[in-house]
Amino acid sequence: MIRRWLQTKREAAAAKADCALPQGCQHECALSACAVGGQAIVVRVSCSHHDACRLRALGVYEGARVRVVDTRHGLILDVRGSRLALGTALARLISVLPLAA
Amino acid sequence: MTSIAPGAPPAGAPRTPAPPAPLRVALVGNPNTGKSTVFNALTGMRQKVGNFPGVTVERLEGNYRDEDGRLVTVLDLPGSYSLSPHAPDEAIALDVLLGRAEGVPPSDVIVVVVDAHNLDRNLFLTSQLLELGLPLVVALNQMDAAAGAGIRIDVPELIHELGVAVIPTVATRGEGIDALRRAIARAPGFPRPARQFALDAAAAANIAPLESALRDTGLAPAVASLEALRLLAHVNPEDPHRYGAAVEHALQRARAELAAHGVNAHALEAERRYHWITGVMQRTVQRPPPGGRSMSDRVDRVLLHRVGGPLIFLALMAVVFQSIFTWAQPLMTRVGAFFDWLGVTVGAYLPAGDLRSLVQDGIIGGVGSVLTFLPQIAILFLCIGILEDSGYMARAAYLMDRYMRRVGLHGRSFIPLLSGYACAVPAIMSTRSIEEPKDRIATIMVVPLMSCSARLPVYTLLIAAFVPGLTLYGLFDLRGVTLLVMYLLGTVTAFLVAWVFRRTLLRGPTRPLIIEMPPYRLPRIRPLAMSVWQRAMLFVRRAGTIILSLSVVLWALATYPHTHSAPGTPAAAAQEAQLSNSALGHVGHAIEPAVRPLGYDWKIGVSIAASFAAREVFVSTMSTIYGVGDADTAGTRALRDRLRDERNPATGARAYTPLVAVGLMVFYVFAMMCMSTMAVTVRESGGGRTGWKWAAVQFGYMLVIAYGAAWLVYHGGRALGYAG
Repeated sequence: MIRRWLQTKREAAAAKADCALPQGCQHECALSACAVGGQAIVVRVSCSHHDACRLRALGVYEGARVRVVDTRHGLILDVRGSRLALGTALARLISVLPLAA
Repeated sequence: MTSIAPGAPPAGAPRTPAPPAPLRVALVGNPNTGKSTVFNALTGMRQKVGNFPGVTVERLEGNYRDEDGRLVTVLDLPGSYSLSPHAPDEAIALDVLLGRAEGVPPSDVIVVVVDAHNLDRNLFLTSQLLELGLPLVVALNQMDAAAGAGIRIDVPELIHELGVAVIPTVATRGEGIDALRRAIARAPGFPRPARQFALDAAAAANIAPLESALRDTGLAPAVASLEALRLLAHVNPEDPHRYGAAVEHALQRARAELAAHGVNAHALEAERRYHWITGVMQRTVQRPPPGGRSMSDRVDRVLLHRVGGPLIFLALMAVVFQSIFTWAQPLMTRVGAFFDWLGVTVGAYLPAGDLRSLVQDGIIGGVGSVLTFLPQIAILFLCIGILEDSGYMARAAYLMDRYMRRVGLHGRSFIPLLSGYACAVPAIMSTRSIEEPKDRIATIMVVPLMSCSARLPVYTLLIAAFVPGLTLYGLFDLRGVTLLVMYLLGTVTAFLVAWVFRRTLLRGPTRPLIIEMPPYRLPRIRPLAMSVWQRAMLFVRRAGTIILSLSVVLWALATYPHTHSAPGTPAAAAQEAQLSNSALGHVGHAIEPAVRPLGYDWKIGVSIAASFAAREVFVSTMSTIYGVGDADTAGTRALRDRLRDERNPATGARAYTPLVAVGLMVFYVFAMMCMSTMAVTVRESGGGRTGWKWAAVQFGYMLVIAYGAAWLVYHGGRALGYAG
């Protein structure tokens, strides 16, 4: 169990190092990998159709711009001025293109 | 249109103008927009709570008379982010708006409540409602919060953009409500709203056959266009079947053709609507330039701290439970004293005998002993209301999601579980916001383990009688801590049981958390007071019906047949003999072998048996048992003393030791003793055979845990030397 937990932490750290560039990067990554304050354009919503449909109604659709506000317990996004909390597992299934800071 | 009805008054006779035809209004809106406050402001206290036919989604209706004397009935629909149903309550909202909900007349006017502070996201639902082709009025609520945040909305321009009446309101202060009523009255005469944006020519051509197929089913052209976009976006296997095979075929074809043109059919609706909304926002709303974090973000820095957040949450819960016990005490003493006084005063006007005993012990003693706990229940509802209205409840769900997920529950399960502290019935009904059926049933199964307000009278009575009022660390009362431990025991067990369910009967993945975090707001006193009042009155009504009837029945069982003791017999011995030989005594003696291993005597056995219908009846039963034959001691205070002083007539030892009291509390923590909860479990978990199966599983597992835990406390305590 500890090994699995350490593995998850290593993967998350690697993803963050790969994508959460303060000056923005030009390739897709998971939303969960974005740093606090980072803005991104949603590229793909790859979760179940049901969850994707709910996300789109709430403003997280392909082409929407989101900002990461908090990542301490999951992920809080600024979506069109409102705050939306997502579980980390779901955020891994949303692909984004981070924007320059 | 006019018509001459048979029997119309002859010409020349004085005419009274016929009242205009009643108007039916459907009130819709996103959650957290102040929709309920608008509903309360429109209808005042003239409200009726019920259910939609066939489902347990709450149906809240109210009415008022407008300036023309016309009766306007307002139906408050469940909060919804869109017309694409993701949960049963959203499906009901859609069915009502499309006029296809069974037993609900079609609406004449729709009022959509939008949050002026968060207009952007709220316009998504509004844009869908425009396409229903029904008269629509927009209540632009929370204008004060928007102004406070420096947001300026050009209302005339917004009216121009939407093509419908827009009424700015601050429902908490009643501002704009009269104007809203006038707009509702006039709305049927306004031009019908319509879609305000156009699809790309290629997409429109691809969707046209689907719209045509939908029109063939009888839908109006505007509604067919709305449904076409909604069906393309929403994958719900039940949806197309509502319209038949032709629509299903057209839907598949439209999806394929859109994909061939590089259009994501699922995202088409959101993309087009939000594109239009962006334009509307640019033309109608001025926002202050973004500058740093908002107040809510700054508060979240603290309340959602990685370590501090859960600790603050636990501390808040401790304060809630401490306040339930300490703040309510002076009020409870007064209510208890009132019923003592009432019993004695009424008794003085009645002749000594059975009638006086019935009124004094059966009715006033039984109902009064439960109503004494009204202050505690009101404080509990007040605390839950403050958490909800302040915006903290959503944060708590977010904080708890990680922990809930470990036991296979959803972050959204947290709100029903927390509501379960007040009452399992609305808590189970609120699980309808959980989309995944297995998540929902797992939550329903464990909600009754959360100590509801009906258990509070039992805990309070036993704690007050047997737990000393010591102060721990100069801060906490031992009684308050005991109460907290009882609540924690139920809560921890609920998580364990959920874990077991999700790995056995309800195996499957848990849906991810998606929840809106409303901005923090200071709760308003009036709506909060109204909500506490409504919920407290439900408890009083219950006391006035179920508990009153059971109290009278129990009094009769405890009083008949009469036992005549020899003259000179001490009062306590005579009372004991009367009880023991009464019908209730016979029932108790029959139950005694089952409860004896838990350290209970036949009197507790009777109270447990009587409270299978409603657990707070335990207190009224004990009150009736101990009040019978002793007219001077009515009320809970007296009952507490009687329990403490009760002796076994044979041995002279104390009948109720602290160990027995703790065991009894533990039994009540776990036992499922509420007919109303069982009924709502049956309906919410699927109804029919499936519903009964889940209700039986729930009742069975809770009884087994209750009996086992009480046995463990009693025998474990004795083994450790806590005999007394």
